[in-house]
Amino acid sequence: MTLSSAFNIINSSFGTIGTQSSTIASNISNASTPGYSKQTANVLTDRFGGVRVASVTRVANMALATQLNTATSAAAEQSAISTGLATLAATVSDSSTATSSTGGLQNGDSPFAQLGNLATALTTYQSQPSNVASGQSAVAAAKTLAQSLNAGATTVTQVRTKADQDIADAVKQVNSALTQLQSINANIVDGLATNKDVGGLQDQRDTLVGQIAQQIGVSSSINPDGSLSLYTDSGVTLFQGIPSTLSFTPSGLLGPNGAGNQVYVNGTPITGSSSNMAVQSGAIVGLTQLRDTIAPQYQAQLDQIAGNLITAFQETDQSTTTPGLPALPGLFTTPGATSVPTSSNFTGLANQIVVNPTVDPTQGGDATLLRDGGISSPTSGNYSYNTTNAASYNGRLNQLLSSLQTPMSFAPAAGLGSSSSLSDYAQTSMSWLQSANNQASANASYQSSLQQQASAALSNATGVNLDAELTQMLTIESSYTASAKLLTTAQSMLQSLVSAV
Amino acid sequence: MAISTVSTAYLNSALLPSVRQAQSQLATLETESTTGQYADLGLQLGGQNGYELSLRTQDDLLQTLTTNNNFSDNKLTTTQTTLDSIRTAAQATVTNLVPLTSASTASSVMQTYGQTNLAQLISSTNTTAGTDYIFGGENTGTPPLNDYYATPTSPAKTAIDNAFQTFFGFGVSSPQVATITSSQMQSFLSGPFAAQFQGSNWTSNWSNASSVNTTATVAPGQTVQTSTNANITGIQNLAQGYAMLSEFGGIGLGVAAQQTLASTAVSVINHASSSILDTQSQLGLAQNQITQANDYISSQSTMLQTTLGKIDDVNAAQIATELTTLTTQLQSSYQLTAQISKLNLAQYLPTA
Repeated sequence: MTLSSAFNIINSSFGTIGTQSSTIASNISNASTPGYSKQTANVLTDRFGGVRVASVTRVANMALATQLNTATSAAAEQSAISTGLATLAATVSDSSTATSSTGGLQNGDSPFAQLGNLATALTTYQSQPSNVASGQSAVAAAKTLAQSLNAGATTVTQVRTKADQDIADAVKQVNSALTQLQSINANIVDGLATNKDVGGLQDQRDTLVGQIAQQIGVSSSINPDGSLSLYTDSGVTLFQGIPSTLSFTPSGLLGPNGAGNQVYVNGTPITGSSSNMAVQSGAIVGLTQLRDTIAPQYQAQLDQIAGNLITAFQETDQSTTTPGLPALPGLFTTPGATSVPTSSNFTGLANQIVVNPTVDPTQGGDATLLRDGGISSPTSGNYSYNTTNAASYNGRLNQLLSSLQTPMSFAPAAGLGSSSSLSDYAQTSMSWLQSANNQASANASYQSSLQQQASAALSNATGVNLDAELTQMLTIESSYTASAKLLTTAQSMLQSLVSAV
Repeated sequence: MAISTVSTAYLNSALLPSVRQAQSQLATLETESTTGQYADLGLQLGGQNGYELSLRTQDDLLQTLTTNNNFSDNKLTTTQTTLDSIRTAAQATVTNLVPLTSASTASSVMQTYGQTNLAQLISSTNTTAGTDYIFGGENTGTPPLNDYYATPTSPAKTAIDNAFQTFFGFGVSSPQVATITSSQMQSFLSGPFAAQFQGSNWTSNWSNASSVNTTATVAPGQTVQTSTNANITGIQNLAQGYAMLSEFGGIGLGVAAQQTLASTAVSVINHASSSILDTQSQLGLAQNQITQANDYISSQSTMLQTTLGKIDDVNAAQIATELTTLTTQLQSSYQLTAQISKLNLAQYLPTA
């Protein structure tokens, strides 16, 4: 051992302390940066008895990161479904916030509530058939019901259109993230090969993967050269050195007949029932489910209600003409309709259903046609039920009222059975929607708390603890002081030696 | 022992989600404590929401039925009052007629009885409630009975005059009427004359009413008759009795024929009175049904309200407690956040 070797060792100590401090400084300044992984300087004794920083490693926890990505995908999926359903459910709400204390909206604006209002108005009219005002109220109630169905169907269109746009946005985000991933990944591979610090780049890469996981469920693996391979959770390659391209054509306005396009990765469909490699989670899955399954099902229910409403209020031939005339739409119809729709043609009726202008006083119609019949053809008299033209005839009104309670046939595809009364069907439809909303909301908050937990676990495992860094800083400070002391001591020894000579 | 670490970022933000949640819960609870109901019924009830709303619409229907029943009841009461006055007049006429069935002189006072009462009967039968002619049956838009004494001569009067002419071979103003025997008069009154008040003669000459009575639903699934009509036997017979007095009471019949006229009128009017009483008891039954329906509705509505209260309403005491708990929780969250942010080694290190 020589004094000069002592100087070397002290020198190496200063170098190490410098690197360690800079690592700590980096950790402290990034303590609040989301996605930042703590770095540690690994210190080794060198062969001269000195010290050196062998490497700066980034604390990573692949298992927790994967868990967070999975939780993020699931939470984003449920959140998309829940947001859409909440928008739909708002149209049938009968909470005090959605209703007025009296009048037509006292039970909210759901088709079921409005159907109830129509039945109530018809009941009043049948007890006072000579009262024109009662007839006008009944027609007004019918109009509100038709508008409620229109509004429900419009909301379905809005929800589906928005989901379609959101899918387009999601696809754009994923594509942009995949492009960025390419350069970052290349830099990491280069950096690792040339032994550079790539911690920051790795953080960025993880953040990008997290962003992609928000939209599409992913699984990732790190290759021996440090590069990343990214797949959808269904196994379609998203990134392997070069990014795949997601393609999606937005449909614009998605009406009751619009189907919406699927998302493709390099030509392979990853959403929709026809896809063999359909992704399992992520916002895109939630949005697709909303656009293609949930909202269309509600639309189908509204269409069934509208179609059967037209059927229930249809007018049959009352004349003795042979052959008999066909049944025609009565109180409820669609613009330009010349016949009662058949059950196979119910699609989109909820958007179109209106009260027949011939019975609507605000459009120059006559509300008493509701009592007498002949709404479909006021001039011919062939569809008039009130043959004696009696002012207090209520036979037709009672017929209409009972038709609301009579079992009718509904398309089972709408998911609410095939036979029930209009009133019951509207009730079941409302319950179906609120039940779906309730479940989606519960799922969304459950998945969101799972995501928070996963995020906390990852943050605790790889994040920075300021106190730990400061403590380490203190240690380094002491060791710096000691090294400095050592240096002055060694120097004074050297000077004593020199002056002694 | 597992070495557990916590990152500063997490430590500082750990309370954030719970604060956020508490704040949104606070808003919900505020709404609930103001309205007394769940803030979002749909979200709270889920699949039960349809059932809940069905109870509400059911209750609305019941409230509407109560209002409607008042109208029906009012109409029935007016009908009853009118029938009462018709019956009272009929009984008074009978009291006045009975002595005349054995009177030795033919008195033209019978004609006055007939004219006054028939006019009165027609006007009573044409009573309205609101705009509705209550004796019109379904046809409430037209006066049920035509004016018998109208100018030009009403079809009903013409038809009676013609029947007389046909039966006797001379008109009512002919002096030959004095020769009509008691049995001739009897067979005319119970034959061609009585036929004027039945079937198509009645509906074409006398009445515009519909024989179909108005009905109304008074409770779910329960329909009652809410009117009677001018085509009931009681009114037909009364018109018949009064018309025979009015037409033949002052034409100068012989004593025997005049006595037969009086006794036939008494019997017809008496029959009419009891028939009207029958109608009245039928209507009374309907009124009774309405009262019962109202009782049923009120108890049913109370039950529905109770059930709805159980489904919709929040427990006020529970809300108050939750509000207090939540406020305390929020306060301690804020305090903790402030304290945790102070818990930092840097605060305790001596400044160089």
